[in-house]
Amino acid sequence: MTARGWVGAALAIGVALTLAGCAGRGPLLDPASAAKHAPRVELDSTPFFPQERYQCGPAALATVLAASGVTTSAEALASAVYLPGRQGSLQPELVAATRRNDRVPYLLPPVTDALLATLDAGVPVLVLQKLGAGPFPGWHYAVVIGYDIERDRIVLRSGTERRKEMSARQFLATWDRAERWALVAVLPGTLPPAPDFARYMEAAAGLEAVGRGESAAHAYEAAARQWPAEALPQLALANLGYARGDFVAAERGFHAAARLDPADAAARNNRAEVLRQLGCFNLARREIEVARVLAAGGPLSAAVEATARAVATQQGGDATGCPPD
Amino acid sequence: MNQRFIVYVVCLAMLNLGSPLVARAELVTTLQAVEASTRAQDLATVNAALAREEVRARFEALGVEPAQVETRVAALTESELRTLAGQMADLPAGADALAVIGIVFLVLLILEAVGVIDVFKKFP
Repeated sequence: MTARGWVGAALAIGVALTLAGCAGRGPLLDPASAAKHAPRVELDSTPFFPQERYQCGPAALATVLAASGVTTSAEALASAVYLPGRQGSLQPELVAATRRNDRVPYLLPPVTDALLATLDAGVPVLVLQKLGAGPFPGWHYAVVIGYDIERDRIVLRSGTERRKEMSARQFLATWDRAERWALVAVLPGTLPPAPDFARYMEAAAGLEAVGRGESAAHAYEAAARQWPAEALPQLALANLGYARGDFVAAERGFHAAARLDPADAAARNNRAEVLRQLGCFNLARREIEVARVLAAGGPLSAAVEATARAVATQQGGDATGCPPD
Repeated sequence: MNQRFIVYVVCLAMLNLGSPLVARAELVTTLQAVEASTRAQDLATVNAALAREEVRARFEALGVEPAQVETRVAALTESELRTLAGQMADLPAGADALAVIGIVFLVLLILEAVGVIDVFKKFP
């Protein structure tokens, strides 16, 4: 082979290796997962929205939203997620647009098992893939609608292809290089399959943060049923009570949260504030002192100190009708 | 006399800027509580209002319709706004799968040009 030939061959091998990701990682769809999940799943009824040029974001998002019961289209979502200057869509905007359609934007734990469990439960998954190489990264959103453990295959709705099969090796390489980003649109009040507590609560709290209080309430209630020993869903529901002006219900909720997790500075801070509103100043002082110790040096210390100052301006003891400590 | 009075009022008003008369208690929101337990401490290193303003400007610069900018910004949480404000140019923009076909074509072209393969029969 000539020198030019060697250079060309080396270049081609380099590009091929990059495209293939880290090859030789062993079996990709772990045969052991066949014991946990159905051996083969294909969600045939998942709708299909063929993408326009550069518009895989709106198309993939329309697919998972429609599968969760939202009436929408890729065209309607383009104005919510497409960035003309980038000729594509960014992940935070897909998450935000999911919220705008009153769905919980749940991000799966970055493991194959979570992907299979979700599909096995009948829920399609929006994934980010990195298809290109080197100076030509090709980022692409697609929707995984099935897998076949025995044949080691993944099935997708992708771009203009209604049904695209990829070898699991190829798919996982492209998904790996996009840091295994995977989004599910969850109807508030229901839970994703095999839910992760922290991930679910963050997704639900995002709904509340952008003014989707009613959807957030349904999501928090579902979380409170699923994880009765966790303080955070109680705190979340109490925060909504406080926002409604229902201080008695809020106090009960914060108190329940603090009982479930006595080291929860947020619950104690918020309980102190609602006790102050209720005129229960002795109780408020006691609660905020505990909160100050718990929050010292942490991310919530500024909020707790502000509440402590507000409590300190109050004179007097507890009004009648204050809750038992 | 009248002017002096106005000057006093204005001075007092200016002194008062930024020093709230009543202490304001802060309720910890649910999202703050989640993020406090899942993230590092420097949550508020970038001011949320500044981040919002920057994202708004970038959306406009990237060709989002003016009527849509506000709704899109409003659907983002504060930590998402900070992420976008800091790294909008670096975040992957999912587009389409055509780039891959381009790469494969490029590889074939290189191989053809240097004479390793011979698939493009009309290629010089």
